[in-house]
Amino acid sequence: MEEVDNILIHALKEVGTEVNEDTSSVKQFSSELIVEAVVRCIRVIEPCLGSALPTSLPPGMSARFRVCTSLAQACQDIGYKGEIGYQSFLYSTEPEIRSLLMFLVEKLPRESAEASDQPPGKSVVLQRAIAAAIKAQLVVPWLPPSCRLPLHSETQSPGALHRFHVQPLSLPHCTEEAGKKQLKEVKDYHRDILPPVTAQPSHHASLVTSILEQHTAELSASQEGYNEWNSQGLLSRLKPQEYRSRKLTRLRKRIEEQMRSAALPSLESAFGGPRATSDLSEVLQAFRGSAPSDHILTKGSNFTHTQKFTFTQTLPSSSIPSSHQSESDIQHCQQEEQVSLQLHFQHLCSDVDQLAADMKHMTVTNAQVLDEFKQRELKNSEKEDKLQVKKKTINLLPDSDNNLLKLQTLVEASAKRVVNLASQWEKRRTPLINEHRRLKEICSKQDLESSKKLSEITSLHDKIRVSTEEAKKKEEIHKQLVTELENLPQDVSRSAYTQRILEIVSNIKKQKEEITKILSDTKELQKEINSLTGKLDRTFAVTDELVFKDAKKDESVRKSYKYLAALHENCYQLIQTIEYTGTILREIRDLEEQIETENGSKTVANLERILNDYKAIRQENSALAAKVREG
Amino acid sequence: MAATETQFMLSVGLIEKDVNGDTLWVWCYPSVGSDLRQVLLSKCCLTRDGRDFHTFVFGQFCRTWYYITTVEVQEPTALNKVTHFSIVVTAKDFNPEKYAALSRILCRMYIKHGSPVKMMEAYVTVLTKGICQSDENGSFLIKDYDVRKAYLAGSVKDVVSQFGMETIILYTALMLKKRIVVHHPRIEALLEFTRVLPSLTWHRKDWSILHPYVHLTDAELEDLKKCPGYVAGFVDPEVSNRSDLFDVYVNLPDSVITVSQSAKEAMAMGKLHKDIGHLIVQSAEDAERSDSQVIKEISVKTKEILANLAALADECEDSKITLEGLKQHHFPPATENFLFHLAAAEQLLRI
Repeated sequence: MEEVDNILIHALKEVGTEVNEDTSSVKQFSSELIVEAVVRCIRVIEPCLGSALPTSLPPGMSARFRVCTSLAQACQDIGYKGEIGYQSFLYSTEPEIRSLLMFLVEKLPRESAEASDQPPGKSVVLQRAIAAAIKAQLVVPWLPPSCRLPLHSETQSPGALHRFHVQPLSLPHCTEEAGKKQLKEVKDYHRDILPPVTAQPSHHASLVTSILEQHTAELSASQEGYNEWNSQGLLSRLKPQEYRSRKLTRLRKRIEEQMRSAALPSLESAFGGPRATSDLSEVLQAFRGSAPSDHILTKGSNFTHTQKFTFTQTLPSSSIPSSHQSESDIQHCQQEEQVSLQLHFQHLCSDVDQLAADMKHMTVTNAQVLDEFKQRELKNSEKEDKLQVKKKTINLLPDSDNNLLKLQTLVEASAKRVVNLASQWEKRRTPLINEHRRLKEICSKQDLESSKKLSEITSLHDKIRVSTEEAKKKEEIHKQLVTELENLPQDVSRSAYTQRILEIVSNIKKQKEEITKILSDTKELQKEINSLTGKLDRTFAVTDELVFKDAKKDESVRKSYKYLAALHENCYQLIQTIEYTGTILREIRDLEEQIETENGSKTVANLERILNDYKAIRQENSALAAKVREG
Repeated sequence: MAATETQFMLSVGLIEKDVNGDTLWVWCYPSVGSDLRQVLLSKCCLTRDGRDFHTFVFGQFCRTWYYITTVEVQEPTALNKVTHFSIVVTAKDFNPEKYAALSRILCRMYIKHGSPVKMMEAYVTVLTKGICQSDENGSFLIKDYDVRKAYLAGSVKDVVSQFGMETIILYTALMLKKRIVVHHPRIEALLEFTRVLPSLTWHRKDWSILHPYVHLTDAELEDLKKCPGYVAGFVDPEVSNRSDLFDVYVNLPDSVITVSQSAKEAMAMGKLHKDIGHLIVQSAEDAERSDSQVIKEISVKTKEILANLAALADECEDSKITLEGLKQHHFPPATENFLFHLAAAEQLLRI
């Protein structure tokens, strides 16, 4: 009971009840203390109920009576199932109070646990505050402008919104060029002249957006670079710079190809007029954002440009409206203008046609000339070769037969020599190529091994990454828990409680064992008694019969029969008396228990108090009645 | 004859693929320039991870014809660590059959002896004497392989049966020395088809316009662009996007001929073309006529047109045609256009 009382007192102290240091058990609680404790608990459990109740009893008896009834009602509202009324507070009994307080304290911790949870760290506090603020803002529903209350003005009025406008910022940190050293001038510029980031955007509202954009771009670029390096870069087994330079050349080549294929249709549209812009947009679409090259626009449209230019030149010069001229004159002028322009236009069209025909003719003749030239060149070279051969033959003609023989022998000899040289070369070549092949085999084997090792390395990297993350998380949790532990209230030792609980449990177990033992003993005894009684009856019945049979004939047997009957009777009475004694002893024990409980509930004291209070209430009533009669 | 013909042979080379998967140019006689060597390595099917295996491939680069025969080495053999090899013969003339036969002999020698020396002996014998002993019965004689046979080896009838009346587009393009690009994923089909096309302009007998096996690499395309008109075969389907390379595009597997925008005007066709087209189709459909007869008939018609053109040229001064001169004859516009461009192709146009 002591532990329970300690727990109750401690909990009540936490709630705010002022409990004296001496009071160590519920028995010593006065009515005022009980009322205060209950009211404070109810205030924590359900603030709306508890705010109406006072923490201290008023002096007047009827007022006290009222307060206690309302308190009892409140307790029942909360969910207390036991019998409760004003008497539980004014004329309390220990077990009643204990059960009520236990119920209330049990209801407490769940509600107050959240409030007493201490935040683990400053940054978490800040984050929680931010989250709470954002949550509150999100909960507020959007209203159309006409319905908005002032509380919405902060988040929903158009003045609070800004366009997502991004401006480039220049930051003085090195990202990729870790190996390169910054020039001294650059460093000076960064130190002295470059304005801070908050001053760089032209509009203050775009500061946040610009920073976000730049940071996200850098982060995603570095993340992508990291991922790409881990996946493809390591596989290619090149150094980072080599890999990057190779990628650059590859991309450049691709750009060239795209430009070439896109530039060609624009060539055909040279006479098609203003189609250059649509081609450009197609090029851009096809390549997804490459820088537009100006030469596509100007290619093939020199002609159209000059056309436009001449038009713009002639137009301003010919239209000079004068306010002094009459309307018809103006119209006449305009018609003349129109006619002249049309003539001009027709001239230009015929010029264009002429030029087109000329160009066509030129291309065709050009092709013909080139073709002729090529053919002539080839014929020339062939003829030169033939000439060489014929020259040599002519020199040899005079002595043709001999020379023929000589030539043949020469040819055979050189053929043999060539073959000889070839075999010599072969002797040199074969070992070299075999060596080459052998080394290649070794190389490829090593490649396999190195790729295996590479894959092992990447898996190890992954494991390292995962383990570092886990370690970080666990360290954070550890920190949090340590601070939590430090912040927990130290006066109540949890371990003492758990130990006591375990002791009590073991005690109860032992008692249970003992009880079962006693019960089994009792059962055994009862069984014995039953069997003995049965035996007795049977024995008596047999003896009775036996003796009775002989009792008819013999006198002594009849006497012994009478003695037997009397013996049986007396013993039976004896047994009955013993049983009766036992029952009476049990009743005595029960009554003694009841006397104890009744004594504990201090009914006498309570009765006296009730009588006194009854007298006080009667007096108050008569006083109030007198007041009413007077006034 | 043998002497001049042997002058056409330029070199012989050897490419090997070994068990490491490397394809190496291991040997050549007398010498092969590094550009040509690069091209030959790319043409040889051994460099392509053993996907397709082509026994015999030929093509042209920088006015040099190359003929590549590839053989898979079967165990047991004198060659160790070699899985496949190719023999490359380069020459100045177009004669696939001759060089295929020669290459076969050289291949067999190489496999048997395991050393290129014997192979070179045979090659030098052919070079000096025009004859060489082969393992099969008989010997290899250069003079057995006449160039005319090579020209006529393809089948015009197949071409006409595949494209029908559209063959006239090919005829016109060839007559006007335009650029024809043919695509087919299989190189053998490509070679077979493209070698026939120059025979439509039999009067020129010019097979140097034929580039039957081209890849989309800078070196080869530059070489291709040096020719004003050509017939080029590509295995790469990407070539259909390269409209700067062709005036007529032939998609062989789908049997579709497209004329590019820039050439549509020059290739406009009229009644004259229709007549010629009909002639070609009829001639080819006749089952009794052989391929050479069909070609002969086409060439007869061509000669007729050229004779007309020459007559027109003689009418003008310095026997060169001008557009005004043509206009005076009031031909229908398509015919006039065709004659104008044909005159340019035959070098009859006044500059």
